[in-house]
Amino acid sequence: MSKIGKESKESRRGHEPAKVALHPRNVKFDWSRLPLVWIPGEVFASHYINVLHLLLPEGERWFVKVFSEILPLIEDDQLREDVIGFIGQEGVHAAAHQEVQDYFTDNGLDVRPFAAEIEALFRKILGERDLTGRAKEEWLIERAAIIAGLEHLTAVLGNWVLNSPALDEAGADETMLDLLRWHGAEEVEHRNVAYDVFQHVDGRYLRRVRSYLLGGTALLVLWWRGAQYLMDHDPTPLESAQPGQAKRSKASLLKLIDAERRGLVPGVVRIGWATWKFFLPGYDPSKEGSTAQAVSYLAKSPAALRADAIAESR
Amino acid sequence: MKPAHYAVPEIPDSLLYRGFEAIVGGYWTKAAYRSWRRRKPLGRIDRDLHVRVSRVDQEGDDVKAIWFEREDPSTGSGRRGSADLPVWDPGAHVDVVLPSGRLRQYSLNSDPDDLSAYRISVRLIEPTAGGGGGSVEAHYLGVGDRLVLKGPRNAFPFVDSPAGYLFVAGGIGITPILPMLRDVVRRGVPYEFVYTGRSRDTMPFLEEIRTIVGDHEVQLWPDDEFGTPDAAKIISMAPEGAALYCCGPMPMIDAIRAQIPDPQIDRLHYERFSPPPVLGGRPFRVRLEGSGSEVEVGAEESALTAVRRIRPAQAYSCQQGFCGTCRVRVLEGEVEHRDHALAEYEREGHMILCVSRARGTVVIDG
Repeated sequence: MSKIGKESKESRRGHEPAKVALHPRNVKFDWSRLPLVWIPGEVFASHYINVLHLLLPEGERWFVKVFSEILPLIEDDQLREDVIGFIGQEGVHAAAHQEVQDYFTDNGLDVRPFAAEIEALFRKILGERDLTGRAKEEWLIERAAIIAGLEHLTAVLGNWVLNSPALDEAGADETMLDLLRWHGAEEVEHRNVAYDVFQHVDGRYLRRVRSYLLGGTALLVLWWRGAQYLMDHDPTPLESAQPGQAKRSKASLLKLIDAERRGLVPGVVRIGWATWKFFLPGYDPSKEGSTAQAVSYLAKSPAALRADAIAESR
Repeated sequence: MKPAHYAVPEIPDSLLYRGFEAIVGGYWTKAAYRSWRRRKPLGRIDRDLHVRVSRVDQEGDDVKAIWFEREDPSTGSGRRGSADLPVWDPGAHVDVVLPSGRLRQYSLNSDPDDLSAYRISVRLIEPTAGGGGGSVEAHYLGVGDRLVLKGPRNAFPFVDSPAGYLFVAGGIGITPILPMLRDVVRRGVPYEFVYTGRSRDTMPFLEEIRTIVGDHEVQLWPDDEFGTPDAAKIISMAPEGAALYCCGPMPMIDAIRAQIPDPQIDRLHYERFSPPPVLGGRPFRVRLEGSGSEVEVGAEESALTAVRRIRPAQAYSCQQGFCGTCRVRVLEGEVEHRDHALAEYEREGHMILCVSRARGTVVIDG
């Protein structure tokens, strides 16, 4: 990753473009041949990442709702433009992951009970809660603060997946890798937006940390619960697993540590380190990944090019 | 398959979710409420750039290159050399607030290393030829005129490509490409450049390009000498594994997009113009249930544009019918769906305002 800022203007050019205007991009994925365990032989690592397809659709729709509601509070035209681009990108992300979620259910891994829990969480527990007046506005800002924390994590995950050669080496499904990298690249591209929104409407350190602790804890609990759920309900016959993994396996911390060590998943180390960085008072989201790398991937993502070609043939 | 308006599930009766609910309802919303006390007041952030026109050049038949210098709005005098404009990278544009209040986006095409001035270029498009009047107004700008810019922003970011570049410009689409050319020549990266247009007279900056590229051979393909350019032939000019940067009229960009993927090209970057024009639209009306207000949607505007006139807070994003942000519930009326955001089962009872249309009057939530 290139170090920016200290170098001269001249040498930075062509490396890290500034003030990128955010736009949603249309994508088209073909899921017809997706194996549920899409990293061959890696049941745990596949499902650990598959949890994203259960959490993200509802979570990102919630981002869209909260940010659409907060837009009238934003009195900065540039930030407004950013938020409009952000909302659009999140909406497309939600729809793309929803396709995978529906595919799971259609292919013998019924995730509807788990998805219903997540829906209740975002729409009821973290919904509008029938508040009015000042309580309503502060709850809106609080939820924007949670999103700033979660968006830090999505940028960390996006940066990870853009730089995860171990997944290619392990023969991971190309369409799934494209989904994760297209999504990850847009997360890196818009990594400043939620933080900037929080800074604009409040900006206090303690509120940022408080909402990260609560939001991050909920995310980790649900992530783990989701991984267990998928491992328990995966109908893939055991023969397809590699020898040595004789019986239906369970999620375990040891497996997570092992998979992270082999570079297949972002685990305890990466998320712990990310959390530490977020808690530093001088936290700066723009340091999490490279816009140039993100923009480059987006200009060659097969799903984005396919959507272009389809739009053209219409 | 889910019905269009499925009920939100109840909060699961488990320790975990009862715990979440207790924390959020019992502590968190209350802590949030108390946070209003020392929260800084919301305030307007002014990002307007006050500039004056410092020079206007004629480029070819109908293009004007307009230079801006920064001006301190408090004194009303330009302070030459003392006030740099904000930094920008190749591909960036500014929003120009024209004297009538019209807002138009123009690519910056001066040298990004010289921040004493910005240059934009405007091709005159007469309203009879489908122009919106912005370019006519820009062509009336003269030295000394004061106006406001917003930005710069970059919707066409220029990033490193060690294997080299293929630049493709059609007519006035040369504007964002010029600073990119300067940059690759300076860095010594391999590149090829195809420049098309109706005729040499209508292709601006031919002299300047010659100065920038020196002896490097560029492909100047005016239609009147070479015929309509062929996308496959353009792409065949690319260095192996190049990044393709393309800016020009929509049909040209579409023709290039349709050729990708291509083994020669690693990445495709093109300037996205939104929103696309409304094709074959007929006027209709939108009524907001609740407020009861009603608005006429013209044949050539989107329902989103019309609804935002009476409901400025209406959410939207891509304006091309795929992101789903401007989805609304339809209570009554016959909708002609033109989006890519709604699943079949959602079409009954929903509408994507930015592209979809209706017959007669459609009644939506709000």
